[in-house]
Amino acid sequence: MAARLLLRSGLRAVTTCRAVRAPALSRSMAAGGIPTDEEQATGLEKVIMKAMKEGKDPYSMMKPKSYAGSKSDPHLVPSITNKRVVGCICEEDNTAIIWFWLHEGEPQRCPSCGAHYKLVPHNLPH
Amino acid sequence: MAHQAHAYHMVDPSPWPLTGAVSALLMTSGLAIWMHFHSTTLMSLGLVLLLLTMYQWWRDIIREGTFQGHHTPPVQKGLRYGMILFITSEVFFFLGFFWAFYHSSLAPTPELGGCWPPTGITTLNPFEVPLLNTAVLLASGVTVTWAHHSIMEGQRKQALQSLALTILLGFYFTALQAMEYYEAPFTIADGVYGSTFFVATGFHGLHVIIGSTFLTVCLLRQMLHHFTSEHHFGFEAAAWYWHFVDVVWLFLYISIYWWGS
Repeated sequence: MAARLLLRSGLRAVTTCRAVRAPALSRSMAAGGIPTDEEQATGLEKVIMKAMKEGKDPYSMMKPKSYAGSKSDPHLVPSITNKRVVGCICEEDNTAIIWFWLHEGEPQRCPSCGAHYKLVPHNLPH
Repeated sequence: MAHQAHAYHMVDPSPWPLTGAVSALLMTSGLAIWMHFHSTTLMSLGLVLLLLTMYQWWRDIIREGTFQGHHTPPVQKGLRYGMILFITSEVFFFLGFFWAFYHSSLAPTPELGGCWPPTGITTLNPFEVPLLNTAVLLASGVTVTWAHHSIMEGQRKQALQSLALTILLGFYFTALQAMEYYEAPFTIADGVYGSTFFVATGFHGLHVIIGSTFLTVCLLRQMLHHFTSEHHFGFEAAAWYWHFVDVVWLFLYISIYWWGS
């Protein structure tokens, strides 16, 4: 019985058009019977999924963007309050991290390497 | 929904860790009571509490992930790490029993007749039921992979069929092994051969039952449309566990059934 099932499924698999590289949007409940995240995701998972599709990262899942750290191109530090702790790794592979509070307003400089940091107030993502 | 700036899941307070700890206490002390005073009440109470804890805790996780959407990408990554670490710990668990087997079988003592299998032990023919068991588990590894691909490709009927087939193969293995245990010409009390054989294969059988249960839960969830074609980690975790069970059997078969016969 298993062999017949396997053969039948194999035949179906070979003959049906399985567009494996097609975007998930083309598959729906009606097509194969298993929903996609697009159809069924909910809550925070759905919010993040939608944001990621637009190229946004409201929940800071990705690495922060790279800036030069100069006066004209300071590191932009998002914050949901008016201050945030910054840890500066002045040179690559440095093991001593320079920690300091970054306050709202004028950009501050790292006490060790002088890189510029500016706090950018954000609203809490909902 | 909680107002947070991160993608992680701050879990709501839950009584299940406490009930789980209490059940562990009742089962262990109950085991001691059983051994000294012949009463299984305390241990059974602990077991019931354990089953209730597992059911309700995992039910809550399903609610949080599937129905409330708390299982964001970083949360799922953490769950993956967790399952991998758990399976790794189980690998070490079995490593101990293989160590015991090889310790006794590579240098058999004079009490055993200086040989392995020990004098007086009639081993099972590795090319009879044990070989069938190997084929059954390998086939179940194929069907569980088939089920995974079916889910990823959005094929509901195939997913249900292949997953059900995997579970049936698991039951077939358990039934065959139970029959082997009943018919075996030696017991756990038959020296170090009996001890190593039944403890190693016995724990493996327990893990087959656990794996089959996990897969059955996945089958029920798939029937209830919990899984999506992209997000179905519960199923992946069950499949990983099932492959682990299969690999342990292969080592058991080669070491104990074949080399050890």
